[in-house]
Amino acid sequence: MWNSPRILAAFALAVVLPAAALAQDTIKIGISEPLTGPVAASGTYVTDGARVAADLINSQGGVLGRKLELVIEDNKSNPREAVNSAEKLILKDKVPVMMGAWGSTFTLAVMPKLVEYGVPLLVETASSGKITTAGNPWVFRISPTSQMEAQAFGKQLASFSPAIKKVDFLSVNNDWGLGAATEFKKMLAEHGIEVGRMETMAPDATDLSAQLAALKGSGSDTLIVTTGVEQLTLAIRQAAEQRLSQRIISTGGSFPEQLLATPGPKGYTSTHLVFFAPWALDRAQHPEVARQYADAWAAKKYPFPGLTEGFRGFDAILTIAEAIRVAGKAEPEAIRQALWQVKVKGVNGDIAFAKEGPAGKESGQNAPTIYVVQLKDGAVTVQ
Amino acid sequence: MRPSLRRLAFIACVVLLALLPLAWPDPYLLSVLASCGIFVVAAISLNLLLGYTGQLSLGHAAFFGIGAYTSALLSLGFDVDLGVGTLVVAPKPVWLAFCAGMAVAGLAGWLLGKLAFRVRGAYFVIVTVSFAQVMRMVALNWVDLTEGPMALNAIPSLTFWLPGRGVIELVSKAATYWLVLAVGVAAYLVVARLVGSRLGRAMIALRENETLARSIGIRVTHYLTLASVVSAAIAGAAGGLYAHTVRIIDPDVFLFIYTITMVIMVIAGGKGTLAGPVVGGLIFGLLPEALRGALAPELQWMLYGALMILIVVFLPKGIVPALAALARRGPVRTAHGTQTDAQAAAAGPAARPARTEEAAP
Amino acid sequence: MDQLLQHWVNGMVLGATYALLGIGLTLIFGIMRVVNFAHGELYTLGAYVAYGFVSLLQLDFFSSLLMAAAAGFLFGALVERLLLRGRDLGSIDEVMLIMIGVMIIMQNAELLLWGGVAKLVPSPFAQEPLVFGSVAVSPIRLFVLAAALVLLVAFYFLIERSRLGMSMRATFQDKDAAKIVGVSVSRIYTLTFALGSGLAAVTGALLSPLFVVNPTMGDLASLKAFAIVILGGLGNLAGAALGGFALAMIEEFGAGYVSTAYRDALGFLVILLVMIARPQGLFAAKERVG
Repeated sequence: MWNSPRILAAFALAVVLPAAALAQDTIKIGISEPLTGPVAASGTYVTDGARVAADLINSQGGVLGRKLELVIEDNKSNPREAVNSAEKLILKDKVPVMMGAWGSTFTLAVMPKLVEYGVPLLVETASSGKITTAGNPWVFRISPTSQMEAQAFGKQLASFSPAIKKVDFLSVNNDWGLGAATEFKKMLAEHGIEVGRMETMAPDATDLSAQLAALKGSGSDTLIVTTGVEQLTLAIRQAAEQRLSQRIISTGGSFPEQLLATPGPKGYTSTHLVFFAPWALDRAQHPEVARQYADAWAAKKYPFPGLTEGFRGFDAILTIAEAIRVAGKAEPEAIRQALWQVKVKGVNGDIAFAKEGPAGKESGQNAPTIYVVQLKDGAVTVQ
Repeated sequence: MRPSLRRLAFIACVVLLALLPLAWPDPYLLSVLASCGIFVVAAISLNLLLGYTGQLSLGHAAFFGIGAYTSALLSLGFDVDLGVGTLVVAPKPVWLAFCAGMAVAGLAGWLLGKLAFRVRGAYFVIVTVSFAQVMRMVALNWVDLTEGPMALNAIPSLTFWLPGRGVIELVSKAATYWLVLAVGVAAYLVVARLVGSRLGRAMIALRENETLARSIGIRVTHYLTLASVVSAAIAGAAGGLYAHTVRIIDPDVFLFIYTITMVIMVIAGGKGTLAGPVVGGLIFGLLPEALRGALAPELQWMLYGALMILIVVFLPKGIVPALAALARRGPVRTAHGTQTDAQAAAAGPAARPARTEEAAP
Repeated sequence: MDQLLQHWVNGMVLGATYALLGIGLTLIFGIMRVVNFAHGELYTLGAYVAYGFVSLLQLDFFSSLLMAAAAGFLFGALVERLLLRGRDLGSIDEVMLIMIGVMIIMQNAELLLWGGVAKLVPSPFAQEPLVFGSVAVSPIRLFVLAAALVLLVAFYFLIERSRLGMSMRATFQDKDAAKIVGVSVSRIYTLTFALGSGLAAVTGALLSPLFVVNPTMGDLASLKAFAIVILGGLGNLAGAALGGFALAMIEEFGAGYVSTAYRDALGFLVILLVMIARPQGLFAAKERVG
């Protein structure tokens, strides 16, 4: 009997089909992140955070009785691939909801597809104002805009001593760095604080000596730096080497992790605006969630420095899962409407969406919590 | 291949490709093919410089990017402060912007021709690379005009203009696919015509032996510049297509890696042949899709690098000439280092006048 | 204006490293005429070797410099023997494409092996900068300057005064004539490529405590090295060294006083200008280039 190919095939089908049916019992979430290219490290951390969240939720029974399945695509740090990856997720994998795409340019590239196919997107990192003011009702962002960050920082200005009187800027020459510089400058003007020099650096620049030398004699007491973790580390080290007198404040959530292991000169202090402080889990708005995240991350042996970026993916998946729960079904339009109603306790803080953008076509924007931390001689304190 | 047979094969291929959306209307497949097609057009344009004139131009992404930015800016409209006053340009219809993109790219080709063709060999390579880098820096820092790293987004999608019907907007995947196919066929035909003409023969002459060509009176710089202009214009067309299908561009379109991608396509397919860039473009354009999910991204890139080395070492003339030699003579011994001699021997008895696709030995 | 001295000091340190990069590439590009796009990858290799030995194996920094030089030398020799041996180096595009393939493979192998996150190599000296009046410079930078100058002088003597150097220059001027007088041409090719690669690797290792180590650090290094070699004149070692200092000063002062944004563009603009005005480079004798 087993020699007959027809019977063998039927038997095989009988085994495979139920398995296939079972496999369909997952809820797919599409993820488009830069896993290769210049920002591969960040994209990987965010994806890892998403994996941690999905595993956590699945271990607690999943959503609506079904397990979450993350379908992860690499957008190769370029907008064309971002579009391709989004179309593949929507057209081939038929995901009802997506998370992505890390960078503002990649996210903006994907946005027309959301309207074309009717699928909601959770934006977890991108900071460009254009994303939520473009009139796209399928966009929901949990990360803050540079403007929000600037306003939040404005509330803390008085806490600095010596007082901030004149500020210089050193920004990475991309939409994030330049956008942050513009917004912070506006906010400072509102508080009557003078702005000195505004310098930029190419994203892959490692020698910042020219910029720092130019900033050295500017007479400012503060230097606001907006760039990624690596360049921030370089900037702080080289600024200390050149004996810059300005105190350094960084924005955007970057934390120079490496300076914990190899500190700068003695007594040198730098301040950082972050959205999650893994060294002080108790200071998070919801410590139990923060601890759950940090423990699960460590259990999967992901590197500790990645916690400060991975939480974005974690919070995004938590939010999506909650929206599916509220919607009652894994359908794009239902999820989109449900997102307006979600209230989630995330690692960063409370997550809820407010309307932003042209009337009738608003996007959703969350107002995140911002933490101010100080780094000195290899130790971190949270303000 | 006999010319009439080749023409038949070409028409057959075009018809088959045109019928594809009707036979297999998978929107994702069409989207991938259109995306690949844009790079095939760019590869065809690079082949004109690289394959037929023998000039190793590694700045081709510059023309692609210039075409993309020009088309995008004109279709969006812009105002820029020129120091002496503000230049305001209202948004233009996409098809007009597209043509303008080609024109401006062609102009850039002329400029590079004037700059670069005073030097040869390794110097030329470096100049072309620098040209693309400077373009990238300009796009990055002239924020007033190009939005710099903030990117130009919300670029309108492709439109088509027919006399009588007016402006037709292309929304469906199939329509975009057909337009890309049309541009690809047009580019192929333009290059084929050019190569087959007297101009083409002059270019091949100077590729084979520049000093000799010069000595018999061929105006080398003139022909090189012409090739550069046409090549740049076609690349500009590819850039325009890219801008209006992806609908967002940033200065990264000028990155060296895009030039490298085009170079891989041309060299692997077979430089100096008409079908080479098409074959190379299809292979290296579709390979990432095929490998999606199957191989880690870093390993994919390592695979392309290894493939490139292997093709240069074992099939230095490219895939198309190797296949052609195979078809004519049966398996050719591919001993390392003697490959070129074997190829030349195989091509020798089958050599034809300049209209042939293979390089004359 | 008060920062003039600081800019000058920064420029000198940067210039020394650029000069090293330039000399390494001059050997390969200038003398062998190989358009070596993988040169930056040797630079990166050296940096990762330094990181590996210092941070993972707890070796001291200076030994790791030697390790890096050896690694670069051996790797260069390997690449030359495997991929370039017997190939007609006049066929520029083939060779260039092979080197591009090598670059892609190396960069992604590093990404796979070490990950995309940048690594820090701790400086063997104290962090406190040395202050001379209004100028501050860290000890490691002074060390880099000194080491670079030593290497520059050593290589000058190697190429211009030693027998080996003479054989090298003879080979690349006229391969057949060199063969006739008994020079082992294939050995010279391998040696030249290996030396250039080793130098690039040692530069990467030397600079690793100054900056960060990541897989893409070689890209900019490669392109700048080409700019330096062109500026100085192909095949001209002293020209490459001077070109390195010149480019560094242009960048440092251009960024300091004109615009930091266009800093990296300056190198490429320089190339274009030199190509227009004096294609054989600023320091070489006039030769036919086109």
